[in-house]
Amino acid sequence: MAEPLLEAVGLGKTYGDRVKTVALRDVSFSLQPGEFVSVIGQSGSGKSTLLNLIGLLDAPTTGRVMLAGEDVTSAPRARRAERRNRLIGFVFQFHYLLPEFSVLDNVLMPGRIAGGRTSALLPQAKEALALLGLEELEDKSANDLSGGQKQRVAIARALMNRPALILADEPTGNLDSENTKTVYELFRRFNRELGTAFIIVTHDRAVAQQTDRILEVQDGRLRQDVRNPYVDSTVVGSAAAASSAATVVAG
Amino acid sequence: MLSLGIAARFLRKSPAQSILIAAGIAVGIGVQVFLGSLITSLQSSLVDQTIGHSPQIVVAAATDGRPVTYTAGVRKALASQQQITNTVPQRSFSAIYRRGGLSAPLQVVGGDLPQLDSIYDVSSRLSAGSARLGPNDVLVGKEFATRYGFAPGDKLTLVLPNGTTTDLTISGVFDFGSSATNTAMAFVNGGFAASVLRYGADQYSSIGSQLSDVFASKTVAASLAAEPALHGMKVTEWQAQNTSLLSALKSQSASSYMIQFFVLVAVALGIASTLAISAVQKTRQIGILKAMGMQDRRSGRIFLWQAFILGVVGAAVGVGVGLALIASFTLLGRHNAALFPIKPQVGFTVLSFMVGVLVASASSLISARRTSRLDPIEVIQNG
Repeated sequence: MAEPLLEAVGLGKTYGDRVKTVALRDVSFSLQPGEFVSVIGQSGSGKSTLLNLIGLLDAPTTGRVMLAGEDVTSAPRARRAERRNRLIGFVFQFHYLLPEFSVLDNVLMPGRIAGGRTSALLPQAKEALALLGLEELEDKSANDLSGGQKQRVAIARALMNRPALILADEPTGNLDSENTKTVYELFRRFNRELGTAFIIVTHDRAVAQQTDRILEVQDGRLRQDVRNPYVDSTVVGSAAAASSAATVVAG
Repeated sequence: MLSLGIAARFLRKSPAQSILIAAGIAVGIGVQVFLGSLITSLQSSLVDQTIGHSPQIVVAAATDGRPVTYTAGVRKALASQQQITNTVPQRSFSAIYRRGGLSAPLQVVGGDLPQLDSIYDVSSRLSAGSARLGPNDVLVGKEFATRYGFAPGDKLTLVLPNGTTTDLTISGVFDFGSSATNTAMAFVNGGFAASVLRYGADQYSSIGSQLSDVFASKTVAASLAAEPALHGMKVTEWQAQNTSLLSALKSQSASSYMIQFFVLVAVALGIASTLAISAVQKTRQIGILKAMGMQDRRSGRIFLWQAFILGVVGAAVGVGVGLALIASFTLLGRHNAALFPIKPQVGFTVLSFMVGVLVASASSLISARRTSRLDPIEVIQNG
């Protein structure tokens, strides 16, 4: 078995100094390269907190995060930022595009943060935009797009540095059903074509049913970690779709 | 240069805010350039009016009333001082003009007119008559002539130091712009003065010199005092004689520096507060950039660059504003004799520009620090 891309070991997060609120307790799981995983749970269950911890946006109170074999839990901020830039792409519910910049500039941004020159990055950015059918919009301001277009730009941006892992937090929360379907089809396509691993946080079980593996978070604990036997392989075409029946590995 | 690009984009996308900050810097630097040049020119004008037309260094005999001999050694010693622009030996004595019960003392300076002109510029400051100093000619001041009803061509009878009287012809009336000088000073032929004082051909009351930099007088005087050729002579310089003027100039400089300092403080506070607001407004964008992996230092530099760009643009416009104010003042001065000409101070203007950029950049430190410390999760969690 290949080295895990990501390992969460006993992750816990407590907020507040005087009044302590435990958002996550003792969560452990590992992720292989190219996996297509969903994290489900009720609002406030701790799934976004989990995503923020493994995305190195937040530091755990207990436990550690291993990314590509490196313990990044207590790494300096600069190292964590560098790892985020190189290995992780983010897609958020609120897309978080930079309104001052054009579509193309937004997509180029992760590459420029990595130190690339615009001229050298252009082919890759245009390719990312083409993959998402956004070629015509590259000069438009991010503010002038529809919700679905903005989310597609956010996905193109997340793909820019060809990260090993894309973390998506309720990526279709603000989209209609047609755009939701488009976004998941795109995720699947990039998972299959580029080998990018995905962890998608959603509260929608129908969405989760389209992923190969489902992590269920309840009251800050990882209640279930199951392989999904019901995934629609005609839609997703993933080898993992034909994987074994559900296996509870955590509870 | 990503930080610079983002900074420029942020500024372009908030034009009203950017223009306001740059205008604040421009006003501050404009005032700075104008005020600095105004004070420097005012001081230069004051100094020029006070000592510009008189010797700034005077070599005289150690004992009052004794002549100083203008030897080749003295000439050489004076010529060796690079700061000295011209040297004029002169013979001076006191005389009294009497009419009826009235008497008026006159300080009479004797010398060669072209040489006297090199210091006093008498010829070009005549209000009546002609610039001529023959053996029996005298040039008197405007107030003196007006008070006693003299005009060019009139006879002037003076009581000399030895008690005798002499008649001289008024060849011209000068106006030095100072009532005291115009009342109490007169110029006569050098030969005539020598005969009054009973001086030999190379004997003079004093040797006056002017300097290219009037404030170098202390150094030049000290250097001259150490010259063997001037042994037994007394060297005096204008600063020692004008302590009140110097004190006034220093006070004026100090008040000017204070005003300029507080203008800069006001500009700095204005920029700092506006940039702090801008930093808060851009918190979301900075958080997004950091989530994508932008390093803390690099994100902090965005606001440093913003301030630097605003500083360069604002200070450049400010220099233009300052120079325009100077030009307006100079234009007004052409129609108003009470105003003095302001000369733009190139060095000071360049310094003001650099100070403007520096103050603007320094004003961004709080915002840069705040941005640098921002945790992306603060933005991501709060939507």
